[in-house]
Amino acid sequence: MGQGRALPGEWQGMALLHSVTFGYAAGIPIVYEASDSSLMQAVRDGDLGGLAVLFERHHRPLFNYFVHVNGNRELSEDLVQDVFFRMLKYRKSYQPERSFTAWMYQIARNAHVDSIGKRKFEVEIGDREFASTNMMDENLKRKQEVALLKRAMARLPLEKRELLVLSRYQNLKYEEIAGILGCDIGAVKVRVYRAVRALGQIYFELAGEKAS
Amino acid sequence: MNCEQARTQFVDYWRGTLEDSAGEFRTHLGSCERCRAEAEELKDLWGTLGTLPEEDPSMGMRVRFYDALRTWRQQEAQRRQPLWWLRHPAFQAACAVLILAVGVGTGYLVRGRDSTEVSQLRGEVYNMRQLVALSLLQQQSASDRLRGVNFAYHVEQSDPQVLGALLTTVNHDPSVNVRLAAVDALRNFSDSPVGRKGVVQALAKQDSPLVQIAILDQIVELHEKSAVPDIQFLLSVQSLNPDVRQRAQWALKQLQ
Ligand SMILES: [Zn+2]
Repeated sequence: MGQGRALPGEWQGMALLHSVTFGYAAGIPIVYEASDSSLMQAVRDGDLGGLAVLFERHHRPLFNYFVHVNGNRELSEDLVQDVFFRMLKYRKSYQPERSFTAWMYQIARNAHVDSIGKRKFEVEIGDREFASTNMMDENLKRKQEVALLKRAMARLPLEKRELLVLSRYQNLKYEEIAGILGCDIGAVKVRVYRAVRALGQIYFELAGEKAS
Repeated sequence: MNCEQARTQFVDYWRGTLEDSAGEFRTHLGSCERCRAEAEELKDLWGTLGTLPEEDPSMGMRVRFYDALRTWRQQEAQRRQPLWWLRHPAFQAACAVLILAVGVGTGYLVRGRDSTEVSQLRGEVYNMRQLVALSLLQQQSASDRLRGVNFAYHVEQSDPQVLGALLTTVNHDPSVNVRLAAVDALRNFSDSPVGRKGVVQALAKQDSPLVQIAILDQIVELHEKSAVPDIQFLLSVQSLNPDVRQRAQWALKQLQ
């Protein structure tokens, strides 16, 4: 189903279906109640189409999460795929009353841990420049700020970096993060604050090095 | 509230989610210079952190995902079949030997099973695409719905449910961008009488000149002569946008 890819065999099947439904009157929309949780419930009950919708919604943030965690684009793409297939594999264990996002990131963390075990070495994120195309027209000061911040992020210990990615990039709620990390909301607040402060220390240190 | 307690509220303060303790927190910031300085300094950092550019995965990732999903689905369907081992290579090899001995009658039977299963699988893949397109079209965010419209290009032409959803989008979506994209996507459905009629009927329901012009262009492209009364009606509207009026007059000429 990649964009622009023709799948001739499947088109035939569709043509068959089309002939069955000819004469349908337009203007009767099908309203799908498609929250993440209801989609995942559908997947659990055997409708795999729901997973495609979930993939469309979440693959990009998830990819960015992994890139921040391991600094490796290729590995991150594999891990995103891994997460969605773990969802399929463990779909019976999904509990709809729990946040889908929290569940997804729990799976993501496990996938990350397993990937380290498999490769037998700790993936270390370097000071490398993250590829970014939309920085061209920004002014120099902001460019430097962003570059510096990325370097500071890369130097942060994994658990702090992960916490900032979840709370800031992915904008998860405290209770969701608490669910992922298995701690209470109060602890999440304190830990996020500490992570920001640690980031600030590295950031201002790097800024000072540059200035001097 | 002491400094320790105040600092646990910093993230709420930056996120704008301070609740019942907001008053106490602000009182502390007002009286404690150190906390105030730290809160402000890190607030900028928090802000910049939220504007870091996101990375895009490669196009290949999506293709691989859907390929893998299809494979998974096929295997699943096979497992669900009570006689899935009938199609297992080892069994089929053994069968081949047996068939040689017994005759071709059995082979004919197995092939018959296979073709019904293949068309069943095709139907499932088809349903998946349709579900994605339809679900995305129902989403709250305009970007999700745009994605849904784009997905509609990959659904079988003139699929009635997707066509219905696209027409609903053209007629009712609050975002002009999404409506324009949907008008565009309806080109795919120009073989369907329902699709052509839907485009014509949508003309009267538009209030955006951009969308009206896009529909007029499409009507001309399709040489949809049945649209003449609808265009004449549009022209009778006193308050019609002058650009649209001009386009409508041009369209009438092209159709006559
Ligand atoms: Zn204080």
